[in-house]
Formats: sequence, structure tokens, C-alpha cells
Amino acid sequence: MSKKGKGSAVAVNAAGENKRPLLVSLHYYRGFYVMFLPVLIFAVVFHYLPMVGIRYAFCTYKGIKAPEFIGLGNFEKMISMPGFWSAFGNTLVISIVKLLLNTFMAVILSILLNELRNLKFKKFAQTVVYLPHFMSWVVTASVFTLILSPTNAGLVNSILIKLGILDEGVYFLGSQDWWRPMYYVINVWKDTGWGTIIFMATLSGISPELYEAASMDGAGRWNCMRYITLPALANTIITVLILNLAKIMNLFESVFVLQNDAVVKQADVLQTYIYTQTFNSGALPDYGYTTAVGLASSIVGCILVLVCNKASYKVRGRGIV
Amino acid sequence: MKTKKATAFDYVLVLIFVLICFIMIIPIYKVLIDSLDLKTAYGMKLLPEQFGLAGYKSVFTNPTLYRPFLVSCLTTVAGTFCGLAISTLGAYVLIQWKMPGRNFFANLLLFTMIFNGGMIPTYLVMRSLHLTNTLWVVILLPAINVYNLVLMRNFFEGIPGSLFESAEMDGCSPMRIFFQIVLPLSKAALTAIGLMFAVSYWNDYTNYKLYITNENLYNFQMKLRSVIMGSDLPTAVGGATENTVKNAAVIVAILPFMIIYPFCQQYFIQGVNIGAVKE
Repeated sequence: MSKKGKGSAVAVNAAGENKRPLLVSLHYYRGFYVMFLPVLIFAVVFHYLPMVGIRYAFCTYKGIKAPEFIGLGNFEKMISMPGFWSAFGNTLVISIVKLLLNTFMAVILSILLNELRNLKFKKFAQTVVYLPHFMSWVVTASVFTLILSPTNAGLVNSILIKLGILDEGVYFLGSQDWWRPMYYVINVWKDTGWGTIIFMATLSGISPELYEAASMDGAGRWNCMRYITLPALANTIITVLILNLAKIMNLFESVFVLQNDAVVKQADVLQTYIYTQTFNSGALPDYGYTTAVGLASSIVGCILVLVCNKASYKVRGRGIV
Repeated sequence: MKTKKATAFDYVLVLIFVLICFIMIIPIYKVLIDSLDLKTAYGMKLLPEQFGLAGYKSVFTNPTLYRPFLVSCLTTVAGTFCGLAISTLGAYVLIQWKMPGRNFFANLLLFTMIFNGGMIPTYLVMRSLHLTNTLWVVILLPAINVYNLVLMRNFFEGIPGSLFESAEMDGCSPMRIFFQIVLPLSKAALTAIGLMFAVSYWNDYTNYKLYITNENLYNFQMKLRSVIMGSDLPTAVGGATENTVKNAAVIVAILPFMIIYPFCQQYFIQGVNIGAVKE
């Protein structure tokens, strides 16, 4: 949102016509305050009360026992836990590789879509590639669990065995070598198509005259793509990367539904680490410790948002929200 | 672009896209075919070997499966309504530039996009409010989506201010302006953002996983998950195999949006575009 721009607009208004005293103004807008009340209640209950709960990060809070202040103990424990560091590293690696791969594929796909001459076929292709975006992660994971299954019913394994490439089925989602590549492939399958929307919007803004002039000068299709289409996308690519970089710590559901015990080392990210440590560890949940891990993750996320926001102002003159 | 004779490049391009479409469709198609096949299917087949609807019959005659389906329907409808109510009310207040406290309210909402309490504190708050194991939490918690609220505000900003002024002159209350001017003028945005809410409610899994442990309140995604993971196999009826029922359950989970998607595609795309390429 262009906060700066709006701020100045308000200032002008305040200096100009709006000279009502505060009380009159409050009275005048009373209806709006009532209308904002539900929004305020929702924001407080679902966003601000949990922020108050961050104090447990400095407490020991096991199961039903009352929380007890212990200072930075939870953070010391966190730093000494190998599980935390592996989850932290995995979060960064998985999200960044996924982001770069998805963006790269979306750019390629949009450039190719843009070259399609038959408009009906183009529309059809767009409809099809957008489709997987609407499937939930549970459904996506279900579909790929079924077709990647190591038994004969699994599509991929049965084809590979028939072609003689494999002797016996590979449990792709349960293999330490295969899990990450499969995760990236599934992500590309699900989100590349949807990712093209924003690039297609940019491409539809390029004046056709530009292409005509270029081809008049003897530029072929390849040169048009290389020197007109791709540079036009540069700003949008940077915008997409910045917007998504701000969200990389949120990675949860897609990893959670695709991981299993065999690949924890490759697949555990911070949010799944927090979840399993709290609810699936078998021991009494230590809410204090997992809150501390969550706080660390939120702080990194917050820094990323602020950095991206700054970058966004530089690149396109407005913030990311 | 000028219409030129199709070159080899055009043919290759079409071929590439046919291939891409196949890659997109095959996983879904495989599941669809298997859900209609009474035999456990091996490999890829164009059509089911032994056609039968027993898989779907198993899904819809089994209360442990159709009950979650109804829960999904209920929470999607209720949630979309709440989400739209919160987004439109918030957005309407945020375009009142001269209202005292307007910037404070805006920052209050925007701050939640930058920083949040995190998974566990949110869970503890929901538990202490006795919202866990009720459908309230999965309906109300996602309803305050600041991103969608900002999208809605971007859209409201496009409504000419003169409309508000003249309505005010005629003595319209803010509430009446909201219902009689703002909402009727925003049908496209309401559809676009409403669909975004509906998809996310229908597909919700994380909130159920965190806050719901009572199996009677599971939605279809939760149930599907346990069916696929094999921890909770439903009884198959009418000669369907276990595999048929699993595949049928996947299809039932995606069916509602597959049906409406071709008709609503433009609204989904519009939703992305009001947010991303504004200005």
C-alpha cells in the first residue's frame, strides 16, 4: 500500500477543508467506529492476543502446569538443539529454491504462452495450467502419494519398471535422496501456471507496435523475445521475488502433508518442527520452548518483510503491503 | 502482431503446450479413472477396466465420509460470509481518510502482516477462549485476512468520491451508503474476493489440524488425509476396492471447484490482478 502517498493526502485534507474540532469529528464519524468494531475485535482476538502469548517464550510451560519465568533458557536450549538448526537451514533452502524455480518456470511459461498465435488454444492452455492451483495441499499430496506410490498401483513406478529403467519400485516420497526433488517438482506442477497470471498481465501491456517495429528492422521471433518480452518482465520478476521472499518463513502446510518420518532430516522446516515438537513429540508439550522457536522464526520473518519492503520502495516506489 | 504464416516454431510451440497440458492433467485424470474402476488399476489407462460408481457410493453412504463433506460445506459458506463481512467493513472504514484514528486502525491491521504471535501462542489463546474443538475457530479465525481486506480497500478506492458526497448531502447514514452504494458497486470485487475466501475455507487443513481433535468436526480435507494415509480406511461397498474409494474421495474433494472454476476463472484472475498490478 502506498502509505506515504496517502499520508500526504490526509495532511492536505486536514489543512484544507477539514477544520472540525476533534469532538465534532468523532461524533460525525460515530457510525464508522461502530462499523469498525467487529474488525477491531477480530484483529485483537486473533492477532494481538496471541502476541501477548509470546511471553511464554521466556517461561517454562509444560502441559497443564502454570508457566514459570526462566529468562532466556528456552533460547539456550534452542541453540543447542541440532533439530532446530537443521529445520532452520531447511526452511531457507527449501523456500528459496522453490521460489526461484517456480518464478523461473512461470516466466518461461508466460513467454511461451505469449507466443501462442491461436487465441482459443491459448485460452484453453491457460485454463488447464491454472487448474492445479485450486487443489488443496492435502489433495495434491494425496494425488502424488497415489501416483508415486512404490507399489504397482503407482503410475510412475509402474511405467519405469515396464520401461526397464527400474527393477523394483522406488518410494520417492520416503527416500532421502528423492524427497526434495519431488517436493520441487510437485510445487512447480501446482503453482507455475498460477504464477504466470501476473506476468501475463505485464505482457499484455506491451505495445504491439514495438514488435512490429522490431520485425521491420529484421528481428526474428527469438530476438523479439530476447530484447522486448524478457526486459519488459524484469520489473515484475523482481517484484514477485521480493513479495515472496517476505513470506518464506511461513512454509508449513505443503511440507507437512508431504513429509514422513523417513525424511525428517531433509524435510523438516521450522513450522513443522514447532508442530511436531509440541503435538507429536510423545512427551508432555513444552509450550515455552516451541513458542521461543516460533518467536525466532517470526523475528527472521519480520526482518525479511522490512528488508523486502525497503527493496520494494527502491524498485517500484511503493511498499509490499 | 502481424498475422504471418505459421512457422515450424509455431508447431513446436503447440506441441510443447499439448505436452504441458498432458502433464497437468495426467495426475488428476489417473485419479479420476481409478475412482471409476472397480479393479485396482495398474499403470495408466485411458478408460476404467471395470466401470462402476461403487467408489462414490462408498463415499456418500458412509457417515464418516459424508459428515466431513457437510462440515466442509457449512464452514465454507459461513466462513466466506464472515470473511467478506470483515473485509468490506474494514475496507470501508479505511477509505475514510479524514476520520480521526483512521491511520491508527490501518497500521493496527498492517502490523499483523509483518509480525505475528506464531502457531503455539495462537493455539494457547484459542484453547483458553474455549474455541478449540468448535467450528467457530475454523470459521472465524481465517475471516480476518488483512491481505484480502487491503485488496477490497484498493477496489473501494476506485469508487468516485462524489457519489459518497452527494449521498451524504441527501442525509444518508454511513451504514446506508455502505449497503446501498458501496456494496452494489463492488459486485466484481465481492465475487473475486469471495471466491478466494471460499477456496481457502474449502481447502483448509492447517487450522483443523491445529484446533480440532474431535473427529465429528473434521472437514473433508482432514478426513481425506487420514483415508489416504491408511490410518482410517472406510468400508467399501458394492465391490469397490480400497483403492477405488481412496481415489473417489480425492475426486469428491476437488469436484466443487472443478465445476465452478471454468465459469469463474475471470474473477479469480481479477482477484490476483487487483492485488498485484495495481498502479
